[in-house]
Amino acid sequence: MSEPSPAPEGLRFLLRVQGFLDRLREEGVVVGVGAGLDLGRAAALISPLDRSAFREACRATLGKSPDDLRTINRIFDEYWSTLGTVPIPPASEEGKVPRPRDRRGTPRRLPPHRRGPEPRTVTASLEGRYSTRAPDPSHPTQLVSPSELRRYRLGARRFRRRVATLPGRAWHRSPSGFVDFRRTAVRSARTGGEWIELFRRDRLPRRADLIILWDVSGSMREHTSSLFALVHSLHRVIRRTRVFAFGHAIEEITGLFEGQSYARALPELSGRLAGTGGGTQIAYCLAEFSRHWGSLLRATTTVLIVSDGWDLGDVSRLRRELERIRRAAGRLAWVNPYAAEKGFAPSTAALRTALPLLDLFASPADFPRPHGSPGTLPRRPGGPGPVP
Amino acid sequence: MTEPDSVPAIGASVDAVMEALSRQQYVIERGLATAVYLALRLDKPLLIEGEPGCGKTEIAKALSAASGGELIRLQCYEGLDASAALYEWDYPRQLLEIRLHERDRTTEQLETEIYSERFLLRRPLLRALEGSGPVRPVLLIDELDRADEEFEGLLLEVLSDYQVTIPELGTIRARTVPLVILTSNRTRELGDAVKRRCLYAYIGYPSPEKEVDILRRRIPQLPEGFAREIAAFVQRLRGQEDLAKRPGVAETLDWAAALLALGEGSLHSAQVAETLGLLLKDARDLETYRRERLDSLLAAP
Repeated sequence: MSEPSPAPEGLRFLLRVQGFLDRLREEGVVVGVGAGLDLGRAAALISPLDRSAFREACRATLGKSPDDLRTINRIFDEYWSTLGTVPIPPASEEGKVPRPRDRRGTPRRLPPHRRGPEPRTVTASLEGRYSTRAPDPSHPTQLVSPSELRRYRLGARRFRRRVATLPGRAWHRSPSGFVDFRRTAVRSARTGGEWIELFRRDRLPRRADLIILWDVSGSMREHTSSLFALVHSLHRVIRRTRVFAFGHAIEEITGLFEGQSYARALPELSGRLAGTGGGTQIAYCLAEFSRHWGSLLRATTTVLIVSDGWDLGDVSRLRRELERIRRAAGRLAWVNPYAAEKGFAPSTAALRTALPLLDLFASPADFPRPHGSPGTLPRRPGGPGPVP
Repeated sequence: MTEPDSVPAIGASVDAVMEALSRQQYVIERGLATAVYLALRLDKPLLIEGEPGCGKTEIAKALSAASGGELIRLQCYEGLDASAALYEWDYPRQLLEIRLHERDRTTEQLETEIYSERFLLRRPLLRALEGSGPVRPVLLIDELDRADEEFEGLLLEVLSDYQVTIPELGTIRARTVPLVILTSNRTRELGDAVKRRCLYAYIGYPSPEKEVDILRRRIPQLPEGFAREIAAFVQRLRGQEDLAKRPGVAETLDWAAALLALGEGSLHSAQVAETLGLLLKDARDLETYRRERLDSLLAAP
């Protein structure tokens, strides 16, 4: 195979490509050096002057998910709108390219996305307000103390051990498991056909995937701090955890937790949840979850719904959606911030609908307690467990 | 590594890829054809994600048929490991060899002998790397998302360097680089390390025109008007918000074949209700649409 040759416009083109990659990175697309090199090699095979072919080459070499492809489409249209004629951004002092000039010799004005970031004057917590007098839609977030956080993590570990660990497909020898007659019979051949020892086996426990569906509607605002400590602890302790925030709509917020310390993730969360106050449509959001992310649900998946159960939607639809999740997932649990309060009764229609389908119903306050609810579950699935 | 002869034929240009796959009755869009072309020319694996039943596995079969290369398929599942994917030593034969020669060979001689290629059981990944013919084989690693995350680690050396290291034998490098197609239904996110080594393409549901084209190519005896009717109905069905599982192209093809086998020439409520199970694979969806929504869907323009 021939070595890729420099693209038609040489250095100018490569600098343009570099600017494109930087723009994608700004938009959150992870573009490694290798992917950039692949695009360079692809550009030697496909003419960059063929706009649609070059766009497809960018998608194939730089994209790694459907979201990436959407972003690449958008940025491509914006960035390569005048392929070959737009000024080239200076990559460094050494390779600096003078700004192109028009017919009169006046330097052309750079397009907005090349002028550098505009100072942001609107803070995240104010976004979503209709007027300055409107109530603050942001979620009040305070750091819980390190000792409290440590207790949440212990609770999360307990949850992992007792709830989010399910029998997997592999078998292992276990003195308390089922009698394996085939192996017992094979073994008895050594003792002249006498069944001296019963061979027992059981399914090897497998750490489950955890899906957290977190209600971030207005009624949950005052619990955001403690719930964030809980969700962050669960995400940290259980490796395969996906977190979704819902209210009127549902979106995945797992990225907020990945590689972020508790203290650094909290302000980001506050900004992200700004403007999410208002009513909840649990059934609609669960349906959306099943539609878009339903394939995540497997026999080894535990679904944890964090909500107060105050719902604006149709109860029969909620039952249908919960049943669907219950069938597809290994376990279904619900954490209600009010469950630990004195005199609490599951009086909302949504909670009454959900309770018969749950394996666990607990309060966030149960997690930091040494003997909280996560420790009271049965080890095996097969019907709802005890509901405190 | 040699330049395979098949590349100029199928990998000469994006148009050549489209034409070669079209001859195999695979309808391909230009975006996906560009990704295949680049995979062929850059010697990079191609990761294809998308909706189930939309032709991810089929493209590997079509590429194999179009290029004449052997299709080597590795179906992934939970618990898949090196012994099923890469290689395994033939332990019973090794034991037999030891018993046969324990008197006339030294321990060192026996050890060298039993860890030779003669006692190696080649699994799909190794078979794909050992191909030495002029035509590059097509290695299909199907539904990678079903395998454990640890298995992805095993693939890294194969995907980046087209080589495998067997401690007893050393490193085996591909003489003819296989065309590697990985597919995933996105039941879980694949690791960054695997993604980084691959080109990427996504196959969504087809447009109505493309679906008619697929129906006509795959079931030539299907009249065009009936194919349009079927495609339009399936498109309307896919547009329903509350479906648990939407039908893919594979379901459309099965349904069209079933209707044809039943002697139908157009869509009628009774026959559609009876055969709806070929399109909807969720009990609740089936019940809801059979009882309440079928007539309105059929009546829609």
